[in-house]
Amino acid sequence: MGSNTNTGDFLVLEIIVMIKQVPDSQEVVIDPVTFTLNRGAARNVINPADENAIEAALRIKDKTNAHVTVITMGPPFAESALIDCMSRGVDDAVLVTDRAFAGADTYPTGLTLASTIKKLGKYDIIFAGEESTDSSTGHVGPGVAEFLGTDQASYTSESWYEDGFVYAKRELEDGTEVVKMKPPTLITVLTNANDPRRATLRKKIDAMKKGIKTMTLADLGMPPEWVGLRGSPTVVKSMRTIDEKKREGKKFKIEEIPKLVDELIEKKIISI
Amino acid sequence: MKIEDRLSLLNYKTDKSYEHITINPSICETCPDHFCTFACPAKCYSLIEEKLNFKYEDCVECGTCDVACSHGSVAWNNTKGGHGVKYKYG
Amino acid sequence: MSEFDVIVVGAGPAGASAAIKLAGSGSSVLLVERGDPPGSKNVSGGVLWGDSLGSVAPDWEKSAPMERYVEAKGVSFLTRDSKISIDFRSKKLQERRSGYTVLRTKLDGWLSKKAKDAGAMVASGITVDKLAFKDERVIGIEQDGDIITSDIVILAEGANPRVAINSGIRDRLKDRDVAIGVKEIIKLPEKTINERFNLTSSKMGFASEYVLGFLEGGVKAGGFIYTNKESISLGLVISMKEMRENNNTRSFDLIEQFKEHPYIAPLIEGGRVDEYSAHMVQEGGLKSVPQLYGNGFMVVGDGAGFSFSNGMVLQGMNYAIASGIAAAESAIKAKIKSNFTKDGLSSYEERLKSSFVLQDLMNFKGIEEVTWSDMIHRGIPNMTEELFLSLFSENGQPKAHMINLLIRAMGHSDVPRKDMVINMYRMLRRM
Repeated sequence: MGSNTNTGDFLVLEIIVMIKQVPDSQEVVIDPVTFTLNRGAARNVINPADENAIEAALRIKDKTNAHVTVITMGPPFAESALIDCMSRGVDDAVLVTDRAFAGADTYPTGLTLASTIKKLGKYDIIFAGEESTDSSTGHVGPGVAEFLGTDQASYTSESWYEDGFVYAKRELEDGTEVVKMKPPTLITVLTNANDPRRATLRKKIDAMKKGIKTMTLADLGMPPEWVGLRGSPTVVKSMRTIDEKKREGKKFKIEEIPKLVDELIEKKIISI
Repeated sequence: MKIEDRLSLLNYKTDKSYEHITINPSICETCPDHFCTFACPAKCYSLIEEKLNFKYEDCVECGTCDVACSHGSVAWNNTKGGHGVKYKYG
Repeated sequence: MSEFDVIVVGAGPAGASAAIKLAGSGSSVLLVERGDPPGSKNVSGGVLWGDSLGSVAPDWEKSAPMERYVEAKGVSFLTRDSKISIDFRSKKLQERRSGYTVLRTKLDGWLSKKAKDAGAMVASGITVDKLAFKDERVIGIEQDGDIITSDIVILAEGANPRVAINSGIRDRLKDRDVAIGVKEIIKLPEKTINERFNLTSSKMGFASEYVLGFLEGGVKAGGFIYTNKESISLGLVISMKEMRENNNTRSFDLIEQFKEHPYIAPLIEGGRVDEYSAHMVQEGGLKSVPQLYGNGFMVVGDGAGFSFSNGMVLQGMNYAIASGIAAAESAIKAKIKSNFTKDGLSSYEERLKSSFVLQDLMNFKGIEEVTWSDMIHRGIPNMTEELFLSLFSENGQPKAHMINLLIRAMGHSDVPRKDMVINMYRMLRRM
């Protein structure tokens, strides 16, 4: 990773981070009777991968003259998540909120966020978490890239900006690759890609004084039939839970490793 | 109910970059009582093959060990930035 | 010029009450809490006794997230095979005001929201490192290298006062100052709770303290059971001194012995443990109270050692709220006079002395020696068990006089008869 001076086309690099508030996955419980997820019992947190996306954006800001805006589509109480992001060093926050957005699947969510980003003006890099813990589709980030017509890099563990180009390191099944892209571009960040920095009190005070911006459907100028439940093509037919299979567990001592290998071959788990 | 099962009920936001409690192994090595292993209500301190083993991840931040250790091994700090245990009821 | 009039460190009942009072009176207040959301680090038994919340929110009984009103208060002695109880129930207890069972994440969340509504800035998920000093005067707090300034800092850190220790305004806690508290939340249906504890409605609750004299190795501990709406708070408190002197039991094992007692097990049968928690309990009484105020700061709540236990009741949150309010009032007075020095804040101690907060600690000086005595844990329970066994069993033998039974029962108490008499006199005086 090279050291970075802003010699490219940009006076200020405009970075957008898209986040989502999700029920804390450690607190989501399975209802013992209906076997459905009971999210009501859980408190909301920033989606873990989105924390990594924020950190990825702030690491570019650390080295470049950049301005970071965090956006989320959600209910008014998502404000606390946005303030949290600003308390870590994000400059501005926008909450896109409207009753009309309720019930949206990933398609209108992506469209709404893309419209918001366009409305905000210039954008060079857009970050998003790889996927959210509450639905795990991984649709929204790539969807926004499609709606905006930008390049995109998914499954990234690292990204940086150098001489007018955005570089992203992608973690693939058979190795890693580094892609070089010209802004504007969208990058989705893997969970645990980095160690998110903590909020500071000074920044939190500043964030609370500054506050967040709010945008509604009217501000975006989108037709109501494009958003929310009406704009959602997904139809959930049914849901079922799958019983967890009990896995066989066995302990081997270090000197028994040959025995372990033999057993694994015998059970056709590995082959030589 | 085993302590391990009780601890598994808890929600932790583990801080991977900061251990809020550290111990001094050279003090623990010669410790005559290992009172921490009795006092700590989250079983963060245990003797494994007569060696003191400490894990901060299970800590519920009560501060007991800091009072319990009379040999000056425990350096106790608050967790940072909302990390650590997150009670549902309290 | 300071950034805030007052910075309050810690959003438990003490800190939040101080912040509400101050913000309500027009002061600029920053309330900093390391838990996110507020309340998520906090644990208490817990019953909030009395009406101290009234000075924070007059409509608290309607708006605060209380669990059940204590209509039944118990005190029990448990021996291995027996339970000797007072189970006090009275319609008059409602008029006299007892307390409400509470769950702290709910209560503290509500209090923080009140503080925010009153105009305080509430910063949660932030850990304060230490007090910031200038010329031997507190000028604010330090966090991650930044200094945030205020005329006054109110420390409301709770039972584990790290900021005060790190700032050198108090000593580290000692064995005599604290007890270890462990607790479980056991889920049970509302109706089952009503039936098992003979409660008149789902709004009414049961709270009981238990003297546990039967634990393995003779270790002494106090237990408690409080009913919430749809769960039971069951826990145990053991003094650090007692733990150290009986270095053979593990704090986390004791609660199992309490739960398995033949007369406790049926109360929680079928219940599902939904949370385990542990917390230190201030037990040292007056001699554990640290420096309460100085140039630019005041200390409130558990962090100031304000709690009360006489074996029959265990109180802390009411002292926390009352001390928080007292500190807020003193801060308001100091602001009027623009005197934030130790002298300017001295009315805080006066307020505490004229209220139950310090008066209880002064009047019950040394009570902890009684509550942790052999007399309470073995003497009285064993003697009473033997006495009642003689009185309530029938074996066809001629009946003995009460006094003879009592003298004979004393012999079963594990405590010499002479000591029993002396201790009983001492105990009654102290209580």
